[in-house]
Amino acid sequence: MVEWEYNNYLMVVKVLNDFLSKLDSQCSCVLQQRIEIRKLRQGEHLILGFSIGGGIDQDPGQNPFSEDKSDKGIYVTRVTPEGPAEVAGLMMGDKVMQVNGWDMTMVTHDQARKRLTKKNEDVVRLLVASLLCNTSPFVQTEFAI
Amino acid sequence: MPMDRYADMEDKLRILEDLNMMYIRQIALSLQDSDIQKKIDHEIRMRDGACKLLAACSQRDQALEAAKSLLTCNTRIMAYMSELQRMKEAQVMQRVARRSDGTRSSDAGPMDDRLPCKGKVAISDLRIPLMWKDTEYFKNKGELHRCAVFCLLQVGGEIHDTDMVMVDRTLTDICFDNTIVFSEASPGFELRVELYSCCSEEDYSAGSAPRKLASKLSSSLGRSAGKKLRVAMDPGACSPTSNAGAATLLLPGPAVAGPKYHLLAHTSLSLSHVQDSFRTHDLSISGNEECSYWVPLYGSVCCRLAAQPHCMTQQMMSGCLKVKQLGGDPPSWRNVYGVLKGTNLFCYHRQEDMEANVEPAFTIAINKETRIRASEKDPHSKAQSICISNQYGGEEVTHTLSTDSREETHRWMEAFWQQFCDMSQWKQCCDDLMKIELPSPRKPALVTSKQGSLYHEIVIDTSDDISTVTDILTRRMQELELRSQLGTSPPWMSLFEESPGGPRTPRLARHSPRSPHRLPHSPLSSLRCPWPGLLSSDASLTSDSDSPCSTSPCSRHRGWAEPLSLSSPRFRPRTLSLDAKLSTLRGRGYGGVLQCSCQPPSSSSLAPIPAQCIPQATLSCSSSTSSNSSSEGSHSPSSLDGTPFSRPSSARRSLRNLRAKLDPRNWLQSQV
Repeated sequence: MVEWEYNNYLMVVKVLNDFLSKLDSQCSCVLQQRIEIRKLRQGEHLILGFSIGGGIDQDPGQNPFSEDKSDKGIYVTRVTPEGPAEVAGLMMGDKVMQVNGWDMTMVTHDQARKRLTKKNEDVVRLLVASLLCNTSPFVQTEFAI
Repeated sequence: MPMDRYADMEDKLRILEDLNMMYIRQIALSLQDSDIQKKIDHEIRMRDGACKLLAACSQRDQALEAAKSLLTCNTRIMAYMSELQRMKEAQVMQRVARRSDGTRSSDAGPMDDRLPCKGKVAISDLRIPLMWKDTEYFKNKGELHRCAVFCLLQVGGEIHDTDMVMVDRTLTDICFDNTIVFSEASPGFELRVELYSCCSEEDYSAGSAPRKLASKLSSSLGRSAGKKLRVAMDPGACSPTSNAGAATLLLPGPAVAGPKYHLLAHTSLSLSHVQDSFRTHDLSISGNEECSYWVPLYGSVCCRLAAQPHCMTQQMMSGCLKVKQLGGDPPSWRNVYGVLKGTNLFCYHRQEDMEANVEPAFTIAINKETRIRASEKDPHSKAQSICISNQYGGEEVTHTLSTDSREETHRWMEAFWQQFCDMSQWKQCCDDLMKIELPSPRKPALVTSKQGSLYHEIVIDTSDDISTVTDILTRRMQELELRSQLGTSPPWMSLFEESPGGPRTPRLARHSPRSPHRLPHSPLSSLRCPWPGLLSSDASLTSDSDSPCSTSPCSRHRGWAEPLSLSSPRFRPRTLSLDAKLSTLRGRGYGGVLQCSCQPPSSSSLAPIPAQCIPQATLSCSSSTSSNSSSEGSHSPSSLDGTPFSRPSSARRSLRNLRAKLDPRNWLQSQV
C-alpha cells in the first residue's frame, strides 16, 4: 500500500471517529486529498475537464458549494463527465486549495484560471478539500482499523 | 418585558420631540428670522421622508442610505437649532445692554472691527487608510465583517455628507471621491470631519434576501437576534449621535428600527491645515474593537484642503485712477481704470478693456511685501495720493496713484487696508490662488454591492460550452473505437488504464451528480488504494491485485474500451437533513446546481445506514473489517454494449438547466 494513501485513510478515519462522538451537533467533515489530473490535448488546447468558480474578486455569497458564505476560495462548479478531472477523482463542490504548489485560497478568479491552464504543464496536481456529508445523529458506530 | 419598555420609551420620545418642535418654531418666530426657520422646516421634512423610507425599505443598501440621510438631517437640524439659540441669546444680550447703557453699541472704528472677507473652503480626495491585522486579512473562513461608512463635514452651520462606502477586509483605504465646498467660511473656520460607520450584517430589514437565509443556516440564530435586541435597547440609539452644543434642546430622532450609525473617528481642520496639496492629519478614534461598527483605522486621514478667500477671486475695488508717470517734471498723470483683485492691482486703459478681458496696461502687485501709504497733501492737487511700494528683486519701485476726489482716495485706502487685513487673516491662502474643482453635476454612480470586476462583463462564448467538450470527447471515443480496432491507442488512454506505479488518490464513494438512476459500482481499480467499493449492496471491494479490476464499468462507460477499469460515478450519501437544506436553497435558485446532485440512493441501499453514511470506513466495516484484508466481490456487470459513448439525454437537459442557472454574469465560472 502506498504510504501516503494510507496516511490519508488514517486521517479520515480519525476525523470520522471524532465527529461521530459528537452526536448532537451537525458537523461536517472535510477531506483533503491530492488529485492529479492529466490534461487532455484538444488541438491546441489542453483541457482539464472541469469548471471553477470563486475568487477574491467574486461575490462569495453566490457560491452554492461553500459552507461559509464568505469563503472566497476556488470551487469546482462542474466536472465534465468522462473528462480528465472526473476520472482523476475530482468532484463538483470540491474546493481547490493548491495547484502544483501554488496557493488557490487567496487568488482572483482569473489568476486561478491561469494557474490551471498553463500551456507548458501537462499535469496538474491539486490539493482539494471535499466536504463529506453531514451525519445524521443516530450513527453510533465507532471505527477501528 | 423589554419590548414593552421600548415601546413606552418611543412614545415618550415622540412627545418630547413635538414639544421641541414647538419650542423651536417659537424661537424662530420671535427672531423673525424666516431664513433659518425655512431651513429647519426643510430639514424636518427631509427627515420625515428618510424615516418613512427606512421603515419601508427592504434592501440593506437602501436602508443604509436612508439611515445616512437621517443622520445628516438630524445633524443639520441640531446645527440650525443651536444657531437659533445663539441668535436668541445675542438678541437678549443686546436688549439688556441697550437697557443698561442707554446707547446702542456703536459701529466700531475703522481698523478695530475690520472683518476679514469670507472665502470658499473645499475639501476633496478624502482617504482614510485602514490597518487590518494579517490574521484578519488572510482568514478565508469566518464572516466577512462589512461596515458602511461615510463622512460628515461641518463648517459652522453648513453640513455636508459624503457618499457611503462599504468597507470590508479587501479594502486597504476608505476613499471618498466627493469634493465638498463650503461657500461662506471665515478664516477662523473649523472644519469638523466625522467618520460614521455602521455594521452591515444585522438583519434589521423585514424582507430577507435568499442569501441571508442561506447564511443564516450556517450561523446560529441566537446571535443575530441578540444583537438586534441589544441595539434596540440602547438608550443612546434613539438620539442623533452628534451634539451641536445645544445642550438644552434634546431632539430625539423618531425611533425607527433600522441601521444606526455610530461615530467612529473625528478630527478638526482649520486654516493652518490648508494647503494646495495633499496632507495627512491625525484622527481621534472613538470606539474600540469590541464595537460592532469597528473598522480598524490606521489613525490618520489624507485629504486636500484648499481655500479661496473672496479677496482672491472677486474684485474688491475698482475705479478710475491716475497714475503718476515716472520721470518728467512736472509729473504727468495717466488715466487708468484700476481693478483690485487678489494680489494685484490691474490697471487697464479703459473700463471697457477690463470687461472685454483685454490684457491690462500694467499690473501693480499688492501682497504681503507691499507697503502703501498716503502721501502728504500735494500742494498742487487737493487730494492725497497713495504710494505703493514694492520690492522687485532688491529694487524698490514706487507707484503713485491719485484720484479725483478725496472720498475716492479714502475708498481706495479702505480697500487696500481691507486687502491687508484679509491677507493677514487668510495667510497662506493669499499667496497663490488655490484651485478648487467644483464637482460637476452628474448622475450618482451606480453602486453595486458586488465588487466591480471586469470579469462580470465577460460573456462566455457559447462555444466554450461544456457540451462542446463532451462532444469532442464523444468524437474521440469514436475515433478510439476505430483505432483500437486498428490496434493503436492514443496516448491519453493511459489516463484510463491502471498504471502500476502511478499515484492514485483514494476516492470517496459519493453520489454521482449526473443521473441518479445510474447503478453504483466499484470505483476502484487495482489501485493499492484501501478504499473499498461502494455503498450499495452491490459494492465490491478490490484487493491488491495486479490484474485489472474485474469490475466492469457501468452503463455510462459503454463507449470505453475493455482495459478501462476506472471509476465511475461515485456516490455520496446524503442524509435527510442535508436534503432539507438543499431544498431550501434550491427554492432560492441555487437549485440548478444542486438539483443535479444526488438523490438518495434507492431505498434498498439505504438499509445499511451506518454503511451509508460514512463512506469508506463504514464499508470496510460492513464488507470487510480491515482494509488490509483483501476481499473481493464481484460486481454484476451492467450491460456493456459496444455502442459509442453518448451522454444520457437527461444529463444533457440537466446540464442545460445548470448552465442557465449558473449564468456567468452572476458569479463567474471558467472552464479549464
